[in-house]
Amino acid sequence: MIEVRGLTKRYGDVLAVDDLSFDVAPGTVTGFLGPNGAGKSTTMRMVLGLDRPTSGTALVNGRPFASLAEPLREVGALLDPGSVHPGRTGRSHLRIAARSNGIPQRRVDEVIDQVGLGRAARRRIRGYSLGMRQRLGIAAALLGNPRVLLFDEPVNGLDLDGVRWIRGLLRRLADEGRTVLVSSHLLSEMQQTADRLVVIGRGRLIADATTEEILRGLGNGRVRVRSSRSEELLAGLRDRGLAATRTDVDELEIEDGTAHDVGEVANALRIPLHHLSDVAQSLEDAYLALTGSSVQFAGSEPVAEVAR
Amino acid sequence: MTATAHDISAGRVFARTCAAEWTRLWSVRAGRWFAAAAAVVMVGIGTIAGSEADPTAVRSEPAWMASTVTAMPAQFALLALALTVVTSDYATGGIVPTLQWTPRRTLLGLARTAVAMTAATGLAVLLALASALAAYLAAGQALDLPWNAGLDALGTVALVVAGGSALAVGLGFLLRSTAGALVAVFLLMLVLPFLLPVFGYSWMSAVAAVLPGSGAAFLLIGEVPGMTTASSVTALLGWAGGALLLGWLRLARDDANR
Repeated sequence: MIEVRGLTKRYGDVLAVDDLSFDVAPGTVTGFLGPNGAGKSTTMRMVLGLDRPTSGTALVNGRPFASLAEPLREVGALLDPGSVHPGRTGRSHLRIAARSNGIPQRRVDEVIDQVGLGRAARRRIRGYSLGMRQRLGIAAALLGNPRVLLFDEPVNGLDLDGVRWIRGLLRRLADEGRTVLVSSHLLSEMQQTADRLVVIGRGRLIADATTEEILRGLGNGRVRVRSSRSEELLAGLRDRGLAATRTDVDELEIEDGTAHDVGEVANALRIPLHHLSDVAQSLEDAYLALTGSSVQFAGSEPVAEVAR
Repeated sequence: MTATAHDISAGRVFARTCAAEWTRLWSVRAGRWFAAAAAVVMVGIGTIAGSEADPTAVRSEPAWMASTVTAMPAQFALLALALTVVTSDYATGGIVPTLQWTPRRTLLGLARTAVAMTAATGLAVLLALASALAAYLAAGQALDLPWNAGLDALGTVALVVAGGSALAVGLGFLLRSTAGALVAVFLLMLVLPFLLPVFGYSWMSAVAAVLPGSGAAFLLIGEVPGMTTASSVTALLGWAGGALLLGWLRLARDDANR
């Protein structure tokens, strides 16, 4: 269990994390989403005691991480896979971790096999690809068989097999009753693996709900309807206060409404319908809708060249 | 899945952290290169000094001279070894996993300091012994090897390298940069103590006299005007203690690597 309460981090004038509170429950994969610079990594670093919060607390299994005597047996984390000494072998890296927490050395070989590093574990890390470094970081996170796991962008650099492996691993860890917090920019990935999403923007909490709730737009459903008398239907829907817009010749889309509402209106007006459905949002749509105003670093579309 | 980790004593955590730090030190080539450099300097110069000893001298010199004299240049390789134990973790970002494995920062600082000092000092004593033996063997009958003088010489080398490595470790924690800490060590241990008195101003000589390098030089080669054993030990250990204190404050209070 991870409990974050009023967590705030300020760097000079920059407020990186602003009064953030959320829980990460055991037995679920919790996705941690937000645009670049939203404060996800800073939050994870504060949970792990790497950065000092300006105010607020973060507890892991009811205790501050920095007070743990054998942290690898309680919490496994993958933050930056590049944060390793390149001149050391992968196996040595894991042996140091095991020694520091009183973990038997045979467990090092077990996790090396588990993450598929194999013989590469005896090579120096400077020769590793990003994907291999990710696997090494995941091996270190799993070393103490912990109840709580934090992964910051774990699928970065992994090939398709690696991505599928991570997907299965996260699911399996959560199904074993562990607490799993995963940050990722790959929203489609989150859609497939996360049971719950914590969405932040500019360091503030934007949403904390199940993935299903967020996909449904947090209660703001959309409905698509098709009718040969769409003009009459549009007027009727607007008369009843529903925000309907035309999306095609015979097609309308209604914000903040349900298929039931639209069906009732059509029936009252005796308008035949050819299609009526709730619109399933992609997580991308939901995410952009939630974080649209919270993007800190946004690019701009190239300006079309003026014809000369 | 494991049960909740039980509380274990700070002493046991410290012992485990020391074991991890020891493995960390010798699992990269840099540590072995610095040790090899110190060995070449101390044993090499000791052998050359022994072979050039005058066999016709009325009174034989002790071969232990080689230990202290060769430790003067070789200490810098050992200080660099101690320093990189700390700074390489910041240079590579390795401090992030390190603090995930040992989040009790004071304990990590103590273990890292103990391991770096033990490695540097232990190597210095072994190499000082090897240097004296090399000089003695190369000199034939021209040098003596009295064991009471040996204890003095090895003790002096141990004191100087222990103090210097503590200073290097403290500066490493404080500056978090290999280049910055190395420059600081060289300035304090070598450049300023020898350069400041050259200008001829009394206040510059007074400043030089309180620098750790002056203390180390007096203890090892004994040719630093105005220094005594007491002032040398005070300067060396005072700087070492101060650097360790400041380094600990930065480690304990600041973010891991920002």
